[in-house]
Amino acid sequence: MAKLTLMFFKKECMGCHSCEVACKQEHGLGVGPRLVQVIEQAPDFYPVYCHHCPDAPCKKACPENAISRDESGVVLIDRQQCIGCKECLEACPFGAMQYDEKQEVAIKCDLCIERLKENRPPACSSVCPTGCIHWGDSRSVAKQISSGTARTRIH
Amino acid sequence: MGQEQQIRTACRNCHGGCGVIAHVRDGKVVKVEGDPASPISHGTLCSKGLAVTQLAYHPDRILYPMKKTGKGWGRISWEEALETIAAKFREVIETNGPESIVIGQGTGRDYESHLYRFANLLGTPNVLTAGHMCYISRIGATLVTCGNLPVTDWHGDPRCIVMWACNPQWTNPDEHKGVEFWQAYKKGAKLIVIDPRKGFLAKKADLWLQLRPGTDGALAMGFLNVIIEEDLYDKEFVDRYVHGWEAFAERVKQYPLDKVEAITWVKQDLIRRAARMYARIKPAALQWGVPTEQTLNCTDCTRTLVGLMAAAGNLDIPGGNIFSVPPKVRTVSEFSRHKDLSAEQRSKRLGGDQYKLASRVALISPKAAWDAILTEKPYPLKAGLLCGTNPVITRANAREAYAALKKLEFLAVIDFFMTPTADLADIFLPAGTWLEQNHVADNWKRHGFVLARQKAVEIGECWQDHKIFMELGKKMSQPWWDTVEDALDYLLEPSGLTWEEFKQVGHLKGEMTYHKYRQKGFSTPTGKVELYSTVLEKWGHDPLPKYTEMPESPVSTPEIAEQFPYILNAGLRTPTFFHSANRMIPWLREIRPDPIVEIHPQTAEKHGIESGQWVDISSPRGCVKLRAKLNAGIDPRVIVAEHGWWYPEIKEEGHGWDISNINILTDNSPQSLDPLMAATNLRVCLCSISPSENQEVSTWQS
Repeated sequence: MAKLTLMFFKKECMGCHSCEVACKQEHGLGVGPRLVQVIEQAPDFYPVYCHHCPDAPCKKACPENAISRDESGVVLIDRQQCIGCKECLEACPFGAMQYDEKQEVAIKCDLCIERLKENRPPACSSVCPTGCIHWGDSRSVAKQISSGTARTRIH
Repeated sequence: MGQEQQIRTACRNCHGGCGVIAHVRDGKVVKVEGDPASPISHGTLCSKGLAVTQLAYHPDRILYPMKKTGKGWGRISWEEALETIAAKFREVIETNGPESIVIGQGTGRDYESHLYRFANLLGTPNVLTAGHMCYISRIGATLVTCGNLPVTDWHGDPRCIVMWACNPQWTNPDEHKGVEFWQAYKKGAKLIVIDPRKGFLAKKADLWLQLRPGTDGALAMGFLNVIIEEDLYDKEFVDRYVHGWEAFAERVKQYPLDKVEAITWVKQDLIRRAARMYARIKPAALQWGVPTEQTLNCTDCTRTLVGLMAAAGNLDIPGGNIFSVPPKVRTVSEFSRHKDLSAEQRSKRLGGDQYKLASRVALISPKAAWDAILTEKPYPLKAGLLCGTNPVITRANAREAYAALKKLEFLAVIDFFMTPTADLADIFLPAGTWLEQNHVADNWKRHGFVLARQKAVEIGECWQDHKIFMELGKKMSQPWWDTVEDALDYLLEPSGLTWEEFKQVGHLKGEMTYHKYRQKGFSTPTGKVELYSTVLEKWGHDPLPKYTEMPESPVSTPEIAEQFPYILNAGLRTPTFFHSANRMIPWLREIRPDPIVEIHPQTAEKHGIESGQWVDISSPRGCVKLRAKLNAGIDPRVIVAEHGWWYPEIKEEGHGWDISNINILTDNSPQSLDPLMAATNLRVCLCSISPSENQEVSTWQS
């Protein structure tokens, strides 16, 4: 079974930050951890997000085995097991791993698995006006991006 | 925990329009989502709309009417608040006449109908809105030129799109939203972008014309010059449907491309290529943005752009610029009872004799209001009611706005928070957010839709704005309805639906037909597109549009440019904020914690400015501090600054209104205003920059 992944088609990100707020709302997060973030250097925008890597450096770096990759490919953190050492933050090549100062544990994108179970797109993707945020099995996402047929609409 | 309820409604965090599903649990909105069934937003929702729960349930939000006394602000009842305002208004009417009361609002927020009705029935012609330099100015200028506002027809598949000073994906383009532009663009349309700053769209564009800020009107003349000279215009349309084409073409000849290049800084060859692209590809849609209106060229620039649409034969054709057909509901104008304002009262409109177009669309300019308060000429304004507006932040020459509102004898405000403007008031009336309203939304726009905005919750003692005008109106013995919903039934009556029925339907759309002019002509005195305006001629103005140099620029005031060598392009919009709103919303402020000024790397280096440093920006009117961001996508001679900044986290009176407020630098002198619309120049003046000595400015704490 092909694994799930998340991918931003960077060329079509126009820096509206809707994905960021949708994510905060979905996960009930306040100021601090940003599971998705768009860095602006006009006219370019650089989305920072979890790629749910097959060989996830965050998972390998965790001394407590708190990070796992489930059978569908989603890289998840067990916050009960996390000791807040931040090794995963350092290991992530994308800067996607976040630290929750209030709970003193690491926190990361869970690809909105609860929404996916209900067959709804991840929150970030659901609001993107250019449709540049893709999720799904890695093969079909890669195909969409490379063939330039990336969907412009989600719904 | 109670059952979750989903309520379908319409956002209004900007001008509104996007469909929302609000999730309500135990009487509280816990989450909002874009509504996939929305004909406007198709399921998308921007950062502002998504953050509405942090707006509605913000700890600083004012939930009760308040009154200011010698001991500061104190809670009062609605009855006392309304009676205090009504008593003061009655006193002013008796002593000075109703014209001494100013009723005002800021940006379009769906309560024009109720605000104007209240003002008209009160008998004051002095309504102060943002309309003199935003949207209503465009409507006014198009009204006299082609009878209505031509809007982009994204649904009609434009093959060429001109984004003229507009970034619809970051900010609201008034009618349709960025998502519909994007869908049209993704179908393969050519894209021409007119913008002094290289943004996302400029990067995507087939042609990007980086013009000197404020010279849009001259650039439009350049386009027309090419189109006429190369015989690219639609002769059949021009012959049959344009009034004064010959005279207009003669005027256009005064703008040869070498002259236009000198004015606009855009290379002749690029203008030529863009003009050819726009004229040759059909259909082509032109989306204009508010910078075309916010200078003294407001009316002329709008009229020139209509000239461009007409010359290329793009008016009211599928995929061009169309006159949308409104759904069958009562118009804002009818509901407002403009006809009930007597000719005598109308003749007293401040600045009405001078700014005839502004008067035609029933508004006054801030300058006229400030002058009447500060100089008491031609007569004094004594009392005011301002709704959803923060003029000390958003109007030109902010120090004058502040002084005037401080001097006003009595001021009541309607808002969510204690803003720098509300600080100057005597009575504070707490407004409901869009989650707390029932309304036939979007009824003032020209896109052919009305939307059901239905109440999801009630919070504190807040009332929706419409109810406030209604209940205050009743206190002043005006004819209104028993309930907000009764008034909505009246608004909806021509559609055959009641409010309760409309709620179920969700939205109404007018039956669109194209080429309406073939049967009915254009709604102008000659029935044609009046590029030569008989109305302006009658008013003693130049009947043909022209370009006028900015009153403060390296060209017109080289002596000022010696001390202030850069062109300030003020009012950069951001996706998270809307004018002066949202600085207190944690999710949004985290994304953009500081006011930003963009400086070209060469310019920054010249002044020893590094990225992230706080810099002083000065104009002949003052100095403010913003944080520097280097941007190679602007001209080294131009400085680009965000607008709308104040600091809600500063709790003292004024909330730091004068620290980073770019409108302290902008000008509102009479020579800087549009001669017909009194549009204020919020965009372009001269400035200097230097590193700030004080590097401890921002006070926002995560």
